Amino acid sequence: MESCPSIKNILLLDSEGKRVAVKYYSDDWPTNSAKETFEKAVFTKTQKTNARTEAEVAMFESNIVVYKFVQDLHFFVTGGEDENELILATVLQGFFDAVGLLLRGNVEKREALENLDLILLCLDEIVDGGIVLETDANVIAGKVASNSIDAGASLSEQTISQALATAREHLTRSLLK
Amino acid sequence: MAQPLVKKDDDRDDEAEYSPFLGIEKGAVLQEARVFNDPQLDPRRCSQVITKLLYLLNQGETFTKVEATEVFFAVTKLFQSRDIGLRRMVYLMIKELSPSADEVIIVTSSLMKDMNSKTDMYRANAIRVLCRITDGTLLTQIERYLKQAIVDKNPVVASAALVSGIHLLQTNPEIVKRWSNEVQEAVQSRAALVQFHALGLLHQIRQNDRLAVSKLVTSLTRGTVRSPLAQCLLIRYTSQVIRESATSTQTGDRPFYDFLEGCLRHKAEMVIFEAARAITELNGMNKDESFEEILKIRKTKFGPSMPNIKA
Repeated sequence: MESCPSIKNILLLDSEGKRVAVKYYSDDWPTNSAKETFEKAVFTKTQKTNARTEAEVAMFESNIVVYKFVQDLHFFVTGGEDENELILATVLQGFFDAVGLLLRGNVEKREALENLDLILLCLDEIVDGGIVLETDANVIAGKVASNSIDAGASLSEQTISQALATAREHLTRSLLK
Repeated sequence: MAQPLVKKDDDRDDEAEYSPFLGIEKGAVLQEARVFNDPQLDPRRCSQVITKLLYLLNQGETFTKVEATEVFFAVTKLFQSRDIGLRRMVYLMIKELSPSADEVIIVTSSLMKDMNSKTDMYRANAIRVLCRITDGTLLTQIERYLKQAIVDKNPVVASAALVSGIHLLQTNPEIVKRWSNEVQEAVQSRAALVQFHALGLLHQIRQNDRLAVSKLVTSLTRGTVRSPLAQCLLIRYTSQVIRESATSTQTGDRPFYDFLEGCLRHKAEMVIFEAARAITELNGMNKDESFEEILKIRKTKFGPSMPNIKA
């Protein structure tokens, strides 16, 4: 049994099950079509549930999937069937809340796509090769938005807004042409 | 950053179609990537292009070997820019492209420079990128810096090195095992997640030595565990020690059982869950019985605040 808690994938899908941003950390789905099949199945299976107020858990193809929905975005975190689902739920919550901070409360598909760089950096700061790197949303968002790391300290809301404002200046302008 | 246009009310077709990447096409973006070669780099433009490339890859688009090599070489030019946002995107891109050994050489010195940078964000991420693309030879060259990073004051740097160590243990175990002393020191870290990562790495280094694992578990169950994640690891290792214990007497294992039972009163739910599972499995319950038992414990301890289980 894998001793260290291991994340197999983190998925951010839209309300039709299409990818917004996904990251796989396991060889279970070696081809892109295998991944898409999994995403479609997981999306379909969870579509009718109401995972908006609280996270939900599903067992699926000998994996545990925890998920949460908001607006037109569906968040998923997958682990093996022997994994501690509350660890998965903590990762999910960290991702969910960090995205909320980075998108300044506008957690919806359009905003996510316009800030895809932030979402991808966010994923990068949460899990590294399947190992949980960070679970605190303030710390995650802070690492994405700020130019320096505050050793150990969480960033206050105000600091994050300032950091985000700076990041906005530095990072991508609107990708609308 | 442009604000979103005024939302059209019920124009669902428009909303559904909207995407900043509408009509994006690989060939066009690869052409755009030529701006990476400009002597005067525009960091925002370059970041934009990298985001588009990452979007394509994320959507399942693939690069041919030739395309990947061209993009990689172009991306390496971006190290000339001191823009921090752009550098973060460059790190992401390099990891996505998984360069081959002879391509890696091109970025090694830039990454090693970043690994020793005064900017901690560069150090942590450069470590992660280097360790992702390194081979044994390069690893021996940077080993010294990784050992220093493991005991660095900045927890993000330390975690980056430790997590990389866990991955590298799979491919270069003889090298990573030499870092035992530093990893041991990191287990004593006051930073919660550094301890978690250090514990994970130390256990993996020692896992074939039953006595060493037992000692590790004993010292930590008496020491300070600084995060629920580390506590979960400790529960797993404790179960392992009990299961593998040669004498297998109740008295010998009593402190370990006591530790597990004590965890049922921990304030973090993930710890209680982990402990409950460990105890039920040790009691010889199979997975289904164990599951039922855990459900009971969950109901009595948490009531409605636990996530619902859907079969």
